[in-house]
Amino acid sequence: MSRTGWKDYDWQLLRDGPMSPALHMALDEVLIYEVGAGRRRPTVRIWEWGGPAVVIGRYQSVKNEVDPEGLERHRMSVVRRITGGGAMFIEPGNTITYSLYAPQELVAGMSFQESYAFMDAWVLEALKSLGVKAWYQPINDITSEGGKIAGAAQTRRGGAVLHHVTMAYDIDAAKMVQVLRIGREKLSDKGQTSAQKRVDPLRSQTGLPREAVIDRMVETFDSLHGLRQDALKPQELEAAHALVESKFGTREWVHIIP
Amino acid sequence: MHGEYKTPGGKLVVVDLELEDGHLARVQVSGDFFLEPEEALEAINGALEGLPREATEAEIAGRVQAALGPEVVMLGFSPEAVAVAVRKALA
Repeated sequence: MSRTGWKDYDWQLLRDGPMSPALHMALDEVLIYEVGAGRRRPTVRIWEWGGPAVVIGRYQSVKNEVDPEGLERHRMSVVRRITGGGAMFIEPGNTITYSLYAPQELVAGMSFQESYAFMDAWVLEALKSLGVKAWYQPINDITSEGGKIAGAAQTRRGGAVLHHVTMAYDIDAAKMVQVLRIGREKLSDKGQTSAQKRVDPLRSQTGLPREAVIDRMVETFDSLHGLRQDALKPQELEAAHALVESKFGTREWVHIIP
Repeated sequence: MHGEYKTPGGKLVVVDLELEDGHLARVQVSGDFFLEPEEALEAINGALEGLPREATEAEIAGRVQAALGPEVVMLGFSPEAVAVAVRKALA
């Protein structure tokens, strides 16, 4: 497999309105196979969250990660994604999430670790243009002097690579530690102040509205690699809804590791 | 029984298991690691099933390694990290 470059592709942008957390999980699975099969061009998808959620990694245990009482109290649900990595605490206005779907040739010959930094180089560029000095912290974090900004996860299947990232635009650290067990362990480990500082969100670092940060990211990708506005095909959305019914919305999947 | 091990510079590996007549049973490995393909997790769990409780770290890691085909990619953890988490669960 010989390696291709960003400019070898006609990149498509999907930037739709809010969708449920489970539908986002399903769309990632649908779109990686669509791109792998050549039915969809390589795509950047900006997510809008339809509700709050805890998103756990493919290999995480629900009971190890989530406090059921905190979850109930804050009326949040748990969804499981298809990629590995850690739990994310999602509140719609506080989070910037995106996915990239590309043929595996784009990362041919790269280790997983190398491909993480490669797939997010454009984001570091966008952040730099907003005055945020950020860098890649292996394996899968985007970080800054103030603290962690984002976490990425990848999977390769069906001839394509999915790379998705959740960035902290803002964070309610007090609420997070009521819902995520891992957050609480870190709190007891390091004390409240340092735990709340561990993530340094983009809101405080840029002083810009969330939309403006996303706009700059889209502009940056466009200027570096080219990006064309696209829309989800009805059959893609249909397939995703079917996968919510059969997989992502089911207890069997979410609790596949109890 | 429950054991956790944070791979240095990598990810957390969690092992939950029971003992039956001195052998590992109902073993579940979990964590925030990356693993491809996803079916490899069942292969890892299966490799640990039935091991004697006295198995050493090296023996445990060897069993896990032997159960994984060349196509399997572990990122942020290793057979050795799984073995440490198992030993911690048994300790």
